[in-house]
Amino acid sequence: MDRLYFEDFPVGEVVEFGDRVVTAEEIVEFAREFDPQPFHLDEAAARESMAAGLIASGWHSAALMMRINCDEVFLRSSAQGSPGIDSIDWLKPVRPGDRLSVRRTTLGARPSRSRPDIGVVEMRFELMKQNREVVMRQQGAVFFGRRPNGETKA
Amino acid sequence: MIGLWYEDHEIGQTAPLGAHRFTREAILEFARKFDPQPFHLDEAAAAKSIFGGLCASGWHTVSVSMRLLVDGRRAQRKALTTHDEKPPPLGLGRGVRDLRWFAPVRPGDEIAFSLRIDSMRDTRRADWGLIGMRIIGVNQDGREVCAYTLMGLAARRPA
Repeated sequence: MDRLYFEDFPVGEVVEFGDRVVTAEEIVEFAREFDPQPFHLDEAAARESMAAGLIASGWHSAALMMRINCDEVFLRSSAQGSPGIDSIDWLKPVRPGDRLSVRRTTLGARPSRSRPDIGVVEMRFELMKQNREVVMRQQGAVFFGRRPNGETKA
Repeated sequence: MIGLWYEDHEIGQTAPLGAHRFTREAILEFARKFDPQPFHLDEAAAAKSIFGGLCASGWHTVSVSMRLLVDGRRAQRKALTTHDEKPPPLGLGRGVRDLRWFAPVRPGDEIAFSLRIDSMRDTRRADWGLIGMRIIGVNQDGREVCAYTLMGLAARRPA
């Protein structure tokens, strides 16, 4: 497959990809290390909380979406990290057994002012579960290298 | 120390969250699981990247800050319980605003995190308020590496 550069993310494009089932074990494993609150650790305690059952840490959802983005896009691209994320909204809980996918919308693209070899792409990423309900929405910028002179898109 | 109930918060309050040293091993482990881009995994590839060397995934950095925040609150909840006071019900996070990664976190870096209360407002539910807390990470050289505003629900003290 072709390597993706800044030029390959046209504004307005909407793409869906990814298929990742979340297990209770990995929810608890992430929570033990980074977010040890009862509703991420223990089913019984979670049932008595406002989460009404075990849910993934919002940071775990963000990390899982990053992994889907890496596997499906970033690792075959010239991605060069991100200066930041304008917003993350945790809209619905992610529960054990949920099957996650990503819908990516390209909102804007501009060449970097300071780095002529880099472009900034504004993207919205929506993490969806099996019933297409959006569980997390994230909007922010990603740096991509620009297509080198002479290299043409196949 | 800032209390755990919504009413215990005040805009402008600050509190340290503690510091965390990012080892090369932990940086690689997080990257392998969640963010396997070359600049988080491979020194030679990272040297050629925009970062000029291996650095932690930004998601790793913010996840560690969450751990420090949760640890602090757990200690406070425990202290309340030992004084026979019931700690407030735990609120969920609603989201994040204005997350910025200013500088890379390198193997061996020690990042000190702090929080500042930036906003407080009512929600549709009378028993919960929404607090915006700015979490800021600074490295051992005093350089800010990341900052974000966590929007979280906090229980209101029963009347």
